[in-house]
Amino acid sequence: MISQKNPVKIARYGMTIDIDRCNGCGACMVACAVENNIPPAHAGASDRKGITWIRVFKVDNGAEYPAKRSVFIPVLCQQCDHDTPCVHVCPQQAVDLDPATGVVGQMPERCLGCRYCMAACPYHARYFNWWDPEWPAGMEKTLNPDVAPRMRGVVEKCNFCHGRWHAARESAAAAGKPNTEPVTYTPACVEACPTGAIQFGDLKDPASAPAQAAQKPEAFRLLEKLGTEPKIYYRSKREWVRGIASAPKAGARKEPARG
Amino acid sequence: MKTSRRNLFKFVGGSAVGALFTPVPWRLITDTALWSENWPGIPVPARGESRTRFTNCSLCTAGCAVRARLNGEQPVALAPVPGHPVSLGALCPFGLTGHHLPYHPARVKSGPVKEAQVAVADAIAKGDRVAVLDLRPGRTASWTYRRAMAAIRNGAYIAPPQPLGAATAVNLAEAKTVLSFGAPVLEGWGTPGNIIALRDRFRLIQVDAVESRTAALADLWVSIRPGTETALAMGIANVLGGATNFTPAQAAAATGISEAQVRRLAAEISQNGPAVVLDAAGSSSVLALNTLIGAPGRTLVTRREAPLPEAWTKAAPATELADIPERSVRVLLIDESAPGEYIPWGEIEKKLVAANPVVIAFAWSRAGYGRYAHYVLPAAVYPETLEDIPPAIDTVAPVFRLAVPLTVAPAGMVNPSEFIAAAAGLTVGDALRERSDAIHHGGRGALVTNADGQLTPVKDIKPDDFWKALNAGGCWLDTPDEKAPPPRLALADPKARSEQSADLPLVAVLTEARGSAAPASPLMSKLNQESNLRLGPGRAALHPATAAACGIEEGARATLETAQGRREIVTILDSGVPPGVVKVAALPGVLDMCAAGAPAKVVPA
Repeated sequence: MISQKNPVKIARYGMTIDIDRCNGCGACMVACAVENNIPPAHAGASDRKGITWIRVFKVDNGAEYPAKRSVFIPVLCQQCDHDTPCVHVCPQQAVDLDPATGVVGQMPERCLGCRYCMAACPYHARYFNWWDPEWPAGMEKTLNPDVAPRMRGVVEKCNFCHGRWHAARESAAAAGKPNTEPVTYTPACVEACPTGAIQFGDLKDPASAPAQAAQKPEAFRLLEKLGTEPKIYYRSKREWVRGIASAPKAGARKEPARG
Repeated sequence: MKTSRRNLFKFVGGSAVGALFTPVPWRLITDTALWSENWPGIPVPARGESRTRFTNCSLCTAGCAVRARLNGEQPVALAPVPGHPVSLGALCPFGLTGHHLPYHPARVKSGPVKEAQVAVADAIAKGDRVAVLDLRPGRTASWTYRRAMAAIRNGAYIAPPQPLGAATAVNLAEAKTVLSFGAPVLEGWGTPGNIIALRDRFRLIQVDAVESRTAALADLWVSIRPGTETALAMGIANVLGGATNFTPAQAAAATGISEAQVRRLAAEISQNGPAVVLDAAGSSSVLALNTLIGAPGRTLVTRREAPLPEAWTKAAPATELADIPERSVRVLLIDESAPGEYIPWGEIEKKLVAANPVVIAFAWSRAGYGRYAHYVLPAAVYPETLEDIPPAIDTVAPVFRLAVPLTVAPAGMVNPSEFIAAAAGLTVGDALRERSDAIHHGGRGALVTNADGQLTPVKDIKPDDFWKALNAGGCWLDTPDEKAPPPRLALADPKARSEQSADLPLVAVLTEARGSAAPASPLMSKLNQESNLRLGPGRAALHPATAAACGIEEGARATLETAQGRREIVTILDSGVPPGVVKVAALPGVLDMCAAGAPAKVVPA
């Protein structure tokens, strides 16, 4: 166990998402749902009440044809590293920022469903379970044995595939690696992305692909001005796309958001 | 100590306060919370030994290589295979969730097998015409159907139209410019991994009435009026010296773009070659542009079929539905177990005899031709079946790979090729094994094994090992042929655009075409219900101004009407859809009543 009194920053897991490569196929969304045992939509679910830990938004530059340009932007929990808003507001301490890995975790057992964290999250990256999780008859056999389904009435969100991190850590321990060293693993969305638009790794490691990509001039973060130090970096060579970073929100309405 | 009432209260109160300073209540809260997470109704994932198995996805002809994670014998996750020479490490959302399909609520689980057998036997005995409609030709099962139809007196084998020819492949690796008339190049056309790998090497010009995903990501999106693709192609053909009198000015007037833009498109594909022209509708007048720009032999090449056993040569020819005389088919067997291009039911129905025709569909659900069939026989679904996957349109080399079962099919499933062969009195052994032996006997090409990513020449492998490797998800890959010209394509007259009327003021545009009732996991709701990334079944998108003119609000139930029929829909407002257009997902129910560019209207329910 890592000492909680003297936290050691073993790793700072983060991502870079190359918007110029994302083709909006949605493979990341369904791979995430498969990995994390997120159920299919309830009959009453909509784009506001559904659960998508990672969601791809189509965003355009606001111009009319022929000047209109669109891109696809996957938005997930931005894993804020500083003054994490959801951690601050949770009355139940159901949200924590793991000092060792930098991953913002959500503990559904502690969550009382007040949804204060959802209001606090600037990225609309948290989702509330409006219904009990249900799968068509027999399909529950396909659930990932490493992740417990969540009950109705709690909030959930991306945790960088905590189950995979645990498995990687166990493998590293079995191989005799000390737990003060970061482990290497791949979240489901990264594995599924057919274009290789999403890269994942330790941002503390300057040799890692996301750390290097984050240093490039075309890299930016969403709502960086809030000072929450998100660990998801986006990349685009198009200036209007980079301008989206300062938009009030990436888009949660049915109409495409305007950059 | 005297026991008094006061002391009793003191003791109880003190105990209660004291207990708060022990771990007991907090432990109880935690345990209750943990218990509530697993109370009845919330499934507990089963635990088992974690294993890996490889297969190939048979949901479309891309046949992407798949690495399956199994928990015991149960597949719990599917992932792409990085570095695979054919699929190149890509897997689409449908392929990622393929292991859910056996549990789809819409699945057909039983059917009147004996009644269907009697109906077929009766027709064969009387010498009536019996036909097989194979929605995915080019498989080993397709050859079984052709042999079976050759074995009976009046049999016919029908395959969907393939405008470029069954043996023609698009060689994207050679293309510098791709002019696509609505073809979903970046949305599942061909082999996704191949397109992604080559994307930076060609300029993509997308001609589309609406801003599709491909249009949004294309280098140039040319927005034309819906249903005027042929007119634009004829205008371009005129500039390129084709035998047509349809001028660029006429094309500009029909499509809504400028004459200069028509000429620019013609210049792009003729000067920035090699180029290739693709068309979602497979119109010969659009595809004929390929002849004018010299695509045959460069970006359009002939692909050999994987070797066949010599005994299979006695087979019925592949016939297009249009070539079957009307009112001539007594029994039609439709193999819908492998999804392919959907032919609207109206075109099929014309070929059936007027009195007492019999239609038998082998299907996983009743969503496709099962709605019209007299007998729906349940067929196994991926990943329950062992079947081969024909090459995709952008695969230039002959390939042979198997979709290997990851789970056992439930009892009562009907194997279409066994059913049809038995009905025709054809003795069919293990056709896939025979094909494997024939490929091995040819001695060409190499075998790709997924577990280690090795490429081994076929001549270095024994036949049994070759078959075993194929059953472990391996892939046989041959070298592509040198220049071989594809069929010549003739220019056709442009189809007159269906005129809008006051009664049907909108134009229908189809999207998300996935073929005939192709199965999809319930988890696809993440893309089409819990987000608006894709247009889901039963939904239609309208421009806000169009919706307002129709008196429809966001999320309202409405009716889509065309000259062929009507259908209930839920409306979505999307400013990316041009005014006057209704965009609907191209599912079988929609395709039966609504062709691309058809006049339509939407009225509140």
